[in-house]
Amino acid sequence: MSSWHQQIIGNTNSFNLSSIVNFISEGDAEEHKILQWLSPLEPQKRHQGVRAGRVDGVGNWVLETREFRKWRGEEDGCVEPVLFCYGNPGVGKTHVR
Amino acid sequence: MQMSLTISYSSLVIDNLCDQAEGKDVAVMGVYCDFLAQEEQSTTNMLGAILKQLATRGGISDYIREAFQKAKKEFGGRGLLLPNIVDMLKKEITSLPRGYICFDALDESPPKHRRELLEAVQEIIRVSPNTRVFLTGRPHIYDEIVRYFSRAVRIPVCPTQADIKSYLEKRLSDDTDPNAMDKKLRADIMRIIPEKISQM
Repeated sequence: MSSWHQQIIGNTNSFNLSSIVNFISEGDAEEHKILQWLSPLEPQKRHQGVRAGRVDGVGNWVLETREFRKWRGEEDGCVEPVLFCYGNPGVGKTHVR
Repeated sequence: MQMSLTISYSSLVIDNLCDQAEGKDVAVMGVYCDFLAQEEQSTTNMLGAILKQLATRGGISDYIREAFQKAKKEFGGRGLLLPNIVDMLKKEITSLPRGYICFDALDESPPKHRRELLEAVQEIIRVSPNTRVFLTGRPHIYDEIVRYFSRAVRIPVCPTQADIKSYLEKRLSDDTDPNAMDKKLRADIMRIIPEKISQM
């Protein structure tokens, strides 16, 4: 399981997690300190927020483009390793009266 | 009703890569750049976050533990410097058959951080050709990206008519006052808004 998905479990079970915290072993506390030392940022949290605001299917066409599929693909070497999706972040605010 | 449709392609790509990676020796890492968090999002912290995700996934390597112990003993518990992080990342990532790194909204990072970040990514790809990098941002930063990756592939992204329709359908179905909506108004919204937006 990737760390992106562990976070979801962390969020939904936060009540359980907080009650377990007291029992964290010394080793785990040390691990936590090391990870915090590597970086205080927690992009997984932001990811969960963004993901929660998504509308199903919107933007999925990008995953079907030839460029993306080739970039994601398994073959090594010949594929250009950098893919850049560019555009303005969204369509401007539209008011409907 | 006010609407603003923002699509986070990075979050879609990260989830897609995670789905594909399941059961394989593939790591998916990423950072969302945020204009409001520029101070906290130093290059060291952003690359550190990538390293942190790798360590969370595969366990913390012994040399990282040793470096931490050593830093702890030094004056005030010494923090990491950019070259330390880049060295560690290079070491970790070369041991992976495939690693994906995503940086969302690069234009929200200050130019200095962007330069350092792209330089580090260039270095990482040089030692680890199995690494793939996904970037998003406003069009103008392409000029900076090609300075480091002359053959970078580009995809222009903009909500499609289908995207706008799915979004509108969702918004209309979430409407807290459905009685205010009749069939005709609904049909008008679904027809006019996508047209207007595509003309923008």
